[in-house]
Amino acid sequence: MLRFENVEKIYKGDVAALSDVNVDVQKGEFIFLVGPSGSGKSTFLKLLLHEEQPTSGRIIVAGRDITRLSHWKLPQLRRNVGTIFQDFKLLPSKTVYENVAFAMEVIGRPKHVVQSQVPQVLELVGLESKSDRFPNELSGGEQQRVSIARAFVNRPLILLADEPTGNLDPANTVGVMRILDSINKAGTTVCMATHDGRIVDAMRRRVVELDHGRVVRDEVRGLYGEGGEQ
Amino acid sequence: MWGRIKYFGRETVISLRRNLLMTIAGVITVAVSLALFGGILLLSRWVDHGTERIKGGVRLEVFMNVEATDGQIADVRSSLNTDPDVKSFRFFDKQDALAEFKRIFRKDPDLVKNITADALPTSYRIVPETAEKTSNIQNRFEVLPGVDDVATPEEALRGLLDATNTARIIFIGLSLILLMSSLFLIVNTIRLATFARRREIEVMKLVGASNWFIRVPFMAEGLIQGLIGAGLAVAVVVALKVGFDRWFNSPNGFFREFYLTTADAVTVSIYVFVLGIVIGLIGAIIGLRRFLRV
Repeated sequence: MLRFENVEKIYKGDVAALSDVNVDVQKGEFIFLVGPSGSGKSTFLKLLLHEEQPTSGRIIVAGRDITRLSHWKLPQLRRNVGTIFQDFKLLPSKTVYENVAFAMEVIGRPKHVVQSQVPQVLELVGLESKSDRFPNELSGGEQQRVSIARAFVNRPLILLADEPTGNLDPANTVGVMRILDSINKAGTTVCMATHDGRIVDAMRRRVVELDHGRVVRDEVRGLYGEGGEQ
Repeated sequence: MWGRIKYFGRETVISLRRNLLMTIAGVITVAVSLALFGGILLLSRWVDHGTERIKGGVRLEVFMNVEATDGQIADVRSSLNTDPDVKSFRFFDKQDALAEFKRIFRKDPDLVKNITADALPTSYRIVPETAEKTSNIQNRFEVLPGVDDVATPEEALRGLLDATNTARIIFIGLSLILLMSSLFLIVNTIRLATFARRREIEVMKLVGASNWFIRVPFMAEGLIQGLIGAGLAVAVVVALKVGFDRWFNSPNGFFREFYLTTADAVTVSIYVFVLGIVIGLIGAIIGLRRFLRV
């Protein structure tokens, strides 16, 4: 579903953000991307979204080499890859319902599909009762759930999460992780970058650790620190 | 499909309203520059019609007698062909003369109705090698058999033609400068609009909205500014056409040979509209260029 082959990324100024990265993620896997700040996690995600291009190597997403993706095919990639962020990126002038519906409208889904899908997804994230609220009336956890609903409503094959719990308290973190887990169980590949050791240790999923741009650890049922299963 | 059109319409209107002052500034500059442009085109056509006879450097007209024989007409032609002072000439037969007569006296239908081509003289319109040769040629051809008169069109008319040509260059230059500034204003309005909606655009890109889907509302915004500006300019063009008809309609006045047809006004209006659309769209494209790099 996701494959990095000998990927190297050097930014201007000769900083090697990633070097010789090889990662192969199967359909339906849940992987944690861990490592200190500046280890290359963000670059890893940016490459997947085609926001940056690798200096060398190949990146395969959903069976397609995105390294040489032409400009006009980019939207197709983005439709296959849902994304959530630490800062949610919700539109403050739109309600919860409108925020989620927006993601379907702008890729041209017909109105009746939007009307049937949005309530379903809001139910999945447990916000069906708050669909007419605005983002600033919600807690951080609720806002993150809206952004998950928005990322998931178009049924992407892959869900990328960049520090999704970075701004949340422990209770809200658990709620968000439950939703990500159930989305993953339904068949979506999830790739989550995080600093939060407790989540990683509690979930016991695959862990890929980056350090100075290199993969230093790749464990099937890993912990945040050393000591998981090879 | 209908849903999309509604979406684009709503987004465009919201955006136009959000930058109302910039929008108005853009529309006004487009209108002023296009009105200037249309006005000068119209004036040029008006003068073109009025100075048809002296266009291309024609300084002499050799009018034959109405009863001149074909032989006499041919003799004059061969003299013109061999005359060293004549640069070029054009023959006007009776039908051409009738067409011109009808045009000049279009406000006098009775006169036009009673005339036939046979009653009108044929003529040669002559461009001399240099302006100074005019009187030489006049003297030589006046005396040829079958020649009725050699006329030299009024100098005032010629001065007007020169003045118009100068004015045309100045005004077209001026309207080009104004068109440039209206283009920049539209570019700026679109940039502001994209900046105001940068969050929406970010989300759209994130969820995979196609580039044209993101662009359309902004293109429509530029297009509408261009169109409204062009619409105002066309109103000015129409008003000018009506004004020209009303101010210069004396049958004996200096401008009796000057006129504008409805077709002239329509053609100029089309130019103005097309230019308005082009400016609006190009402005939008330039305004969008920078931010749309993903």
